[in-house]
Amino acid sequence: MKNFLFLILMYIQFQVVGQQTCTLNLTGTVSDLHNKMPLSGITVMLKETNSKVHTDSLGRYVFTNVCPGKYTLLCATIPGFNPIKKSVDLVENRVLNLQYESHSKELGEIIIYSKKEHSLHLKTLATDVIQGDELEKNKGVNLGELVKSVPGVSTLNTGNSISKPVIHGMHSNRLLLVNNGVRQEGQQWGTEHAPEIDPFIAGKVTVIKGANSVMYGSDAIAGLILIDTKSLRDTAGIGGEVNLVGSSNGRGGVISAFLEGNSKRFSPFSWRAQGTLKAQGNVNSPDYMLINTGVKESNFSIETAWKKNNYGLEFFYSQFNTKLGIFGASHIGNLSDLQRAFQSKVPLETGPFTYEIGRPYQVVEHELAKFKFYFNTGNAGKFSVTYARQYNFRNEYDKHKPLNDNLASLNLPDLEFHLTTHLADVFWTHKSWKSWKGSVGINTMLQANTYRGRMLVPSFENQTAGIFWVENWHHKNWDVELGARQDWKQLTVYLPSADKKTLLPTNHNFERTTASIGVNYSIDSTWKFLFNVGSAWRSPSVNELYSNGLHHGAAAVEYGTATMNTEKALSTTFTLKYSKEEKVYVEITPYHNYIQGFIYRKPTPEPVLTVRGAFPGFIFTQTDAILKGIDFHGSYHWNSFIETKVKGAVLRAWNKTENEWLILMPSDRIEVETGYHIDRNRAWKHYYVGFTSQYVAKQTRVPLNADFVSPPADYWLCGLSAVTHVRISSQLLELGLNVTNLFNQRYRDYLDRFRYFADAMGTNVSFRLKYKF
Amino acid sequence: MSKFKFLGVVVLAGLVIVGCKKDHHHPEHNHEHDESELITTVQLNFTKKGVSDSTFTVLFNDPDGTGGNKPISFDTIRLDVNKTYTCDLILLDKSKNPIDTISNEVLEEADDHLFFFTPSDNDALSVTINDKDSKGRNLGLKTSWVTKTKSLNAGTVKVKLMHQPGIKDGSSAQGETDVELDFPLVIK
Repeated sequence: MKNFLFLILMYIQFQVVGQQTCTLNLTGTVSDLHNKMPLSGITVMLKETNSKVHTDSLGRYVFTNVCPGKYTLLCATIPGFNPIKKSVDLVENRVLNLQYESHSKELGEIIIYSKKEHSLHLKTLATDVIQGDELEKNKGVNLGELVKSVPGVSTLNTGNSISKPVIHGMHSNRLLLVNNGVRQEGQQWGTEHAPEIDPFIAGKVTVIKGANSVMYGSDAIAGLILIDTKSLRDTAGIGGEVNLVGSSNGRGGVISAFLEGNSKRFSPFSWRAQGTLKAQGNVNSPDYMLINTGVKESNFSIETAWKKNNYGLEFFYSQFNTKLGIFGASHIGNLSDLQRAFQSKVPLETGPFTYEIGRPYQVVEHELAKFKFYFNTGNAGKFSVTYARQYNFRNEYDKHKPLNDNLASLNLPDLEFHLTTHLADVFWTHKSWKSWKGSVGINTMLQANTYRGRMLVPSFENQTAGIFWVENWHHKNWDVELGARQDWKQLTVYLPSADKKTLLPTNHNFERTTASIGVNYSIDSTWKFLFNVGSAWRSPSVNELYSNGLHHGAAAVEYGTATMNTEKALSTTFTLKYSKEEKVYVEITPYHNYIQGFIYRKPTPEPVLTVRGAFPGFIFTQTDAILKGIDFHGSYHWNSFIETKVKGAVLRAWNKTENEWLILMPSDRIEVETGYHIDRNRAWKHYYVGFTSQYVAKQTRVPLNADFVSPPADYWLCGLSAVTHVRISSQLLELGLNVTNLFNQRYRDYLDRFRYFADAMGTNVSFRLKYKF
Repeated sequence: MSKFKFLGVVVLAGLVIVGCKKDHHHPEHNHEHDESELITTVQLNFTKKGVSDSTFTVLFNDPDGTGGNKPISFDTIRLDVNKTYTCDLILLDKSKNPIDTISNEVLEEADDHLFFFTPSDNDALSVTINDKDSKGRNLGLKTSWVTKTKSLNAGTVKVKLMHQPGIKDGSSAQGETDVELDFPLVIK
């Protein structure tokens, strides 16, 4: 009791003294934990007194004449970094240094600032960034599965190994992947052709939702996915990272590592070498093994840069190699085989576990080499020239070898594509002039595709050129963006003549002007809204123009329409954000995408008679379509340890011309995650445990008579994830656990082609370890 | 090493890597094994038992394969009542030059293939398989067709070829379908 009284007395005295002498100084520096660089212009705030200061060029901040007492020190949030919040008990002058740690947890933060110039013009679009913890958590999964964590993004799957991102119901040639600032040019037209990118090269993945062709040219009808490597090391020394991932289902293993450096002697020179090896065997559904579902992958990349104050040179090279097994029981000869597959409770073929990949399978390789040179044009701006070459190789092997022994012994792929693309870009970015900032640029592309084996699509050449201008006006709480672009494209298709002895070229010319206008307005510190109207286009892909025959994968006969013209989109997105004291965060994005000349497969009135019986026939046709919906996500901190996040998406896709729903659109879904998070300065540095539950509704909005079976039932999936950081001497070790389909649910997803044949994958427990040095 | 030398090395290294993969630039025509195997034509050669010069042919013919143009012939099988016919089945790939006889390949891989002949009315027609594979199981390139007293105006015979590598057990619920045609059937 005595002690207690004494304490109270002390406290009163302290208060009295404190009120009398408000002369204390609180100073310190703000820096980046990773590279120790000071951060200037950062707002630092004392919550209790509401006083704000900014850091100077050396990252220093100073609060003078502060009364003694308990304070909370807050720093402005920087996307990609953990927020800084420190409690200070001020009794005397104090120096407190603050460090930003690059572990963003907040999914869906808008990029406001970034070193890469393209981010300049994305302030008014609905943008989600995956980096930091969110990126770490998904290490080992493919790119499609990675971006799925963004509301409004789902995947189109051919089993577990082939997944294509779907934004607002659109995929393949309707969304654009940009790898390190270069348009990804692969065989994206195929629904069973996954993006040819190793997710381990990414330091940041940005998903931009809404039509916008202005920055990167055609195809961005649904949006863009930007994959960027993390910045190279700019301080002398060598560092690196090793990632190990093991997963129970499929007994998969991934090792990915990089080494990066910057030497004292050649301080402008930085480099990084990175590589990934992946192997996974057959995966299990809850009741049976899915045969031939293994994956093998080997990828590497090299990045170098020579960086001076007034000029710089960058070189990037990456190679992606994969061999993918295609689930054996999904290969069918005709419709009666398909019917048999539907009716069978267990797939018609099952087998034991193996890492071996048999027929049918795909072998895919993708190379990217990029050179970039830039220099400052005085104080006015920056000029850059980029050249990139991509080479994409795709081999597909059918389930059976040819009957002819001589042919069979050659073991040739049934489909073989070689796609070579040369891209050259010139940009000039001007610095702020009367609150205006912007760029002008020219993009050019030369592309050739050749094939061997079965002619699924003919060989073609492609030449495109585009010119654009974007400007951003920033004033107080306002950002206004304007952009316009003109594109030209010439597609030359080489069709075999009737006697198959010569090739006859046919030209298709396309031309399109696109524009974008957007506003970003912060009403106050809690409310913010974004509004964007943008247009985008794409030319019909070669398969949509010239398909003519049985598509084995689709069990349908497809006919192209060579007279089709461009597909044009006009999309409006509106985002409203509300955040309050890091306790509540709500973001809601309604959108409307009107697409003129939307290309889809229209069923033929009569089935097509073939030697294998009658097949459904489809003709690629253009219609007008409306895809509209709402994406939302939010979070609520119950206290400083427990947080609940909710995200969901609703989409309605309507074929206006035919007055019916569009096929293969993701159904409504919602996901709730509750996590327990603790930050301590001990050996187990901080940890996180989260429980996820996802509900995916049954898709009831489908066109009549366009599918073999009706969409599968709705499903609930649960998951678990845990992360902890352990400090061993001075090194940080990160351990993660991720469980998907926790209760081993039987389910089939409407957007998985294998839903016709088998249940999706069962429980998968993956464990990962990251060691940074 | 000067910094320019260093730069040179970096650029050169880059070019070497880039140069590894050749451009496949010019669409050219082309390779010997370009087209995969197709069955374009199913030919049934019937001979009435005990009657000389009674051979006739029934065709399904789609010379450009699936898709493209429609089949140019899909004949009706016309049989007399109370007769026995032998039938030789031939599969052709007419999209190749010279024409490829696929049934020879099927015969070679008889262990992995099985034909099924299913009349719409078993009281009017029965089909039995006469040839065997290396393990004594039915194949179906050679068959006997026995008509009964019942006549048929608009019947069918389903001719089906199943590819059953390693899983041939006499059932049609195995493997993949290579041919499935419902030939119109008239028995007078």
